[in-house]
Amino acid sequence: MPKGSVLVVGGGIAGVQSALDLANSGFLVHLVEKTTAIGGKMSQLDKTFPTNDCSACILSPKLVECGRHFNINLLTLSDLVSLKGEPGSFTAVVRQRPRYIDPDKCIACGLCAEKCPKKVDDEYNLGISKRKAAFLSFPQAVPLKYAIDPDHCIWLKKPGKCGACVKVCPADAINFDDTEKEHILEVGSVVLALGFSPYDPSSLDFTGYGRLPNVVTAMEFERYLSPSGPCMGHMERPSDGKEPSRVAWLQCVGSRDINRSCHPYCSSVCCMFAIKQTVIAKEHAHGDFSSSIFFMDMRTHGKGFEDYYNRARKEGVNFHRARVHSVLQGKEEGDLRLRYVNEQGEICFEEFDMVVLSTGLEVNKQTVELAKMLELELDDDNFVKTDVFHPVSTSRPGIFVCGAAAEPKDIPQSVMEASAAAMEAGRILAPARWQETTVKDYPLERDVHAEAPRIGVFVCHCGTNISSVVDVDSVMEYAKTLPDVVFAQTNLFTCSQDTINQMVNIIKEQGLNRVVVASCSPRTHEPLFQETLRDAGLNKFLFEMANIRDQDSWVHRDEPEAATIKAKDLMRMAVARVRGENALPYNTVKVVKSALVIGGGIGGMTAALSFAGQDFPVTLIEQTDRLGGNANKLYRTWQADEVQPYLAETIKKINAHPQIDVRMNCQVSDVGGSVGHFTTQFSDGHSLIHGVAVMAVGGEAYKPEGEWNYLYGKNPNVHTLLEVDQMLIDGQTDFKQTGQAVFIHCVGSRIPERPWCSRVCCTHAIDSAVKLKDLNPEMDIFMLYRDIRTYGRRERIYQEARAKGIIFVRYDLDHLPSVNEANGKIIIQTHDPIVDSDITLHPDLLVLATAIQPRQESGNLSKFFKCAIDAHGFLLEAHMKLRPVDFATDGVYLAGLCHYPKPMEETIAQAKAAAARATIVLSQDEVPAESITAQVFDAKCTGCGVCVTICAYSAISMDEDKNVAMVNTDLCKGCGACVAGCRSDAMTLMNVGNEQLMAAVEAAFI
Amino acid sequence: MSDQYDLSKLRTRVKQQIEKAVPDAKIDYCLTCGLCASGCPASGIEDMDPRKFLRYLVLGQDDIILKTNWIYSCSLCQRCKYACPMGIDVGRIVYEVKGMRPKEDRPTNLQRSCDLQKKGNSTGIPDADFVWVVGDILEEVHELEPEWSDLQAPMDKIGAKFYLNQNAKEPTVEPEEMVPLWKILHTVGIDWTYSSKWWDGANYCLFPGDPEDWEYTVRKQAETVNDLGCTTYINTE
Repeated sequence: MPKGSVLVVGGGIAGVQSALDLANSGFLVHLVEKTTAIGGKMSQLDKTFPTNDCSACILSPKLVECGRHFNINLLTLSDLVSLKGEPGSFTAVVRQRPRYIDPDKCIACGLCAEKCPKKVDDEYNLGISKRKAAFLSFPQAVPLKYAIDPDHCIWLKKPGKCGACVKVCPADAINFDDTEKEHILEVGSVVLALGFSPYDPSSLDFTGYGRLPNVVTAMEFERYLSPSGPCMGHMERPSDGKEPSRVAWLQCVGSRDINRSCHPYCSSVCCMFAIKQTVIAKEHAHGDFSSSIFFMDMRTHGKGFEDYYNRARKEGVNFHRARVHSVLQGKEEGDLRLRYVNEQGEICFEEFDMVVLSTGLEVNKQTVELAKMLELELDDDNFVKTDVFHPVSTSRPGIFVCGAAAEPKDIPQSVMEASAAAMEAGRILAPARWQETTVKDYPLERDVHAEAPRIGVFVCHCGTNISSVVDVDSVMEYAKTLPDVVFAQTNLFTCSQDTINQMVNIIKEQGLNRVVVASCSPRTHEPLFQETLRDAGLNKFLFEMANIRDQDSWVHRDEPEAATIKAKDLMRMAVARVRGENALPYNTVKVVKSALVIGGGIGGMTAALSFAGQDFPVTLIEQTDRLGGNANKLYRTWQADEVQPYLAETIKKINAHPQIDVRMNCQVSDVGGSVGHFTTQFSDGHSLIHGVAVMAVGGEAYKPEGEWNYLYGKNPNVHTLLEVDQMLIDGQTDFKQTGQAVFIHCVGSRIPERPWCSRVCCTHAIDSAVKLKDLNPEMDIFMLYRDIRTYGRRERIYQEARAKGIIFVRYDLDHLPSVNEANGKIIIQTHDPIVDSDITLHPDLLVLATAIQPRQESGNLSKFFKCAIDAHGFLLEAHMKLRPVDFATDGVYLAGLCHYPKPMEETIAQAKAAAARATIVLSQDEVPAESITAQVFDAKCTGCGVCVTICAYSAISMDEDKNVAMVNTDLCKGCGACVAGCRSDAMTLMNVGNEQLMAAVEAAFI
Repeated sequence: MSDQYDLSKLRTRVKQQIEKAVPDAKIDYCLTCGLCASGCPASGIEDMDPRKFLRYLVLGQDDIILKTNWIYSCSLCQRCKYACPMGIDVGRIVYEVKGMRPKEDRPTNLQRSCDLQKKGNSTGIPDADFVWVVGDILEEVHELEPEWSDLQAPMDKIGAKFYLNQNAKEPTVEPEEMVPLWKILHTVGIDWTYSSKWWDGANYCLFPGDPEDWEYTVRKQAETVNDLGCTTYINTE
């Protein structure tokens, strides 16, 4: 039996996601983080593209979940120092540095930091502000526990010298005698989520970085924009605090450069990063604001990115296709003067208030050291080596990698890989699932049905977040005057572990049967307080929160008296509402432990094998009579691995696996049920009951037509990329007679009808061109492109292609190449912008890099599962950033081209990720169902049936005998559409009914 | 009105010739990012810049490459190489192209200066005149500036530590311009010498692009330095 626990190294978003997926599917996770708190780089970002979400706000709930998870052992200030053993049974030694503040005692009041006399550079803010030697890295840190920095603490350097923190700490938490601890952990597999380092531009003299104060890195600019940054969200430039109104972004600083930075790869995220910053900076600006991005190729190759780019252009961001030669001192003090050349070759100078360097991503120094210790192979750029067919596997079995440690990548891709790594790490330990985990036991719940309301109110200071504005004591005193309130108190941090324990005792001692917490947002903290009620033997739905922080103290900072009145109002409304609330059932659905995978391409097959590898039965359906989907048409990957042998091997595994039932020529014709228990009808007449479903229905190649036809189908020498792949697979053509080949990029992509970038075609076209050149070195090859988007390490193949003499000629939408024929010979006219000349080509072969588009069928299918599609027809995930493989509908997941065009390694990773997310459901015996469900008052129901048609979840049916509506609580999602639609007021949502809402409204107007 | 290039059959003879002579020329690596052009002091002269120059090479427009006099505005300063993300040394490539130009088609003054330097110095004055001018100017300093009465301008001093060459223009047209450097060397107490042969430091033969000519003039100077037994060569150009 393998071990049932996993070691995850790295507490950034990738590590956190991996840890949560593993812990939620039955494994004990040791999460090792080298700093004092988890959150990584994402916690330092202000906003994230393309949704402009507040980074900390979407990250924070995951961090909180991680920090509170029963089966995640969070080890901060820790490093993995050795690992011995083999897959299934490793012994890891983790060394944990002393924190010097006892996390069990620390209440995060912040007094130690306030009184600490030692100021040091704050690395969380990249050194642009100061922190104390006693510190909390950021306000939402998990664990929310202070630490003492031994490199700077006066006492630790000279015992007896300071000790200010000891004197002020109200919790007696300071422990200067804290020592290093060694943890010996028995684990079955390892996930490395080691992250990256931002490139340090200090050595690039031309940027002026380090010499000219108003030249900052993108990460620094992010801190300048962030509300938790040194300028509290006011955009200020470093030299004089002036709000900049002209800002320039310089792309590829430390990327795509083999001369000065030695990073031949593209960092993949910086183009979008820069565009996002222009948008957010403009929002921060009070007056006129102009932004300019200096770039070489605009790489907006992800989902929603091209739309974002187009919007920025429309809104007036200046895009200059140039790398900037030098950043010089401007005319006015602090201003900066850029020297660059425009596309016409004229030298230009332009003045800016501030310059942001879009610095690239590079490998952490520690990653290289750790890889050496673990004997892992690194690639030419020192990233942890993986391969296309095994995108999260390292060279050592049992050790997996995810995120930017394997290649520069964005957050959604890192999150996908994190889940994929969790799947792989969990797959080899599947027999040991739930063997090392512990399940939380709750005490029996008290029946409060017959009791008169006894309400307890807890008013939070939130450190100074609330109490610096709101008079919390008067709110608490006021609470005591409200009817049925039998207890009220204030807390420094209601969410701290000691207060939570205290709250359990108070509920019991005071016999409370309703609880109100007046503090922060229910989005992040409601689950915590609800769990506290359960710990005290109360039903968790007898609880309300009043948000007197986000919606009060933070927004009314300058009006403390009015804010105090508002806090009282909000609290009084919560009390009024909780008074009428009842205990609700913890509904569950028994999980059918099998999966349906729709689509027999690489994505679907990978997902199916992932389930089967964990011993879950899978049904894989394919609408054609052949497995493999688009992979049947692909010659090789960009790393020159041939696809057909891999495909054949995968199909063999699928057909041989006893847990996989393959149904060919089969489509879905109807779906009922919900997470844990779906019933799906197939076109072949069969039906299946299954717990989860993965949609991997693929995409298809656009067929060139109209303006983009380029003689396709008319001249025999015009082919699509996939047709050239077929020739290469067949191996019948040696291309010796092809004197000249031309490739046209973006055929049908990035145009108004299909405004997305198809992501794979630049790399695919270039790889095909390289292959042709290898077959016939005499062949002249021209690539007509708009932007080369060989993101990440694919940039190397672009360089290889140029080195082989393949010529790249840029075109734009205003000057499309014209393709004609004379006597069967193709004639292409295009324009070279560098020498401003027209070029005539006479290729023997014209290859069109055509767009990838969604299939019609995916739209129909999404309706069956109540999943959304985006404006372009691709399936729409639950959240573009942090839930890239989930649908908003529980129990349904997606992978591959139906989500967005992507190369094979990303489809494989996404399919594994989808399986990982689905495994969370399959590994449970039952899953929670909605407790807040609709209820019918039979006496009022007229049996009109409107609710039946309104319900998007098919949860309502008619009781033909009684002629009234009936709600199936297993299916009801508590959306309330039926309540709003009911003409007879016969429908209500439990605890969110008129009784509770009207009580709150009435309380508001007292 | 832009030019028309028919690339039915791409012929890049000049590029290939350069690549043969300079295997790490990396012309094909060009990303057309414009960094070379934006830093080049010669950008825009003759409607050319380093990026365009490379582009014409890549597109096989050899007529333009072989015809443009822009190459003579390139002083091989290597700012392009420093800035280029691919590290392409455009100056090195320009040098090769300069050498491809028939001698008779090169800028007359430049070729003549090199031809003269191959005979001794680029102005063509007899070596004896140089020796005489140096002596004459030194004498003048001794007379007019008593505080510099011990100033020296050694000629062919065997075993001097430093060998100093001299731009030939100064002894020819403005000989007093030589004096400040003598004074500096004297003040810091350096043991140096001129030589009476191969004394011209102008290095003109670097610019017409014939490596043999350049090597010849450099070798001649080196031999002179060795004959004098100097350990350090100071190039004043």
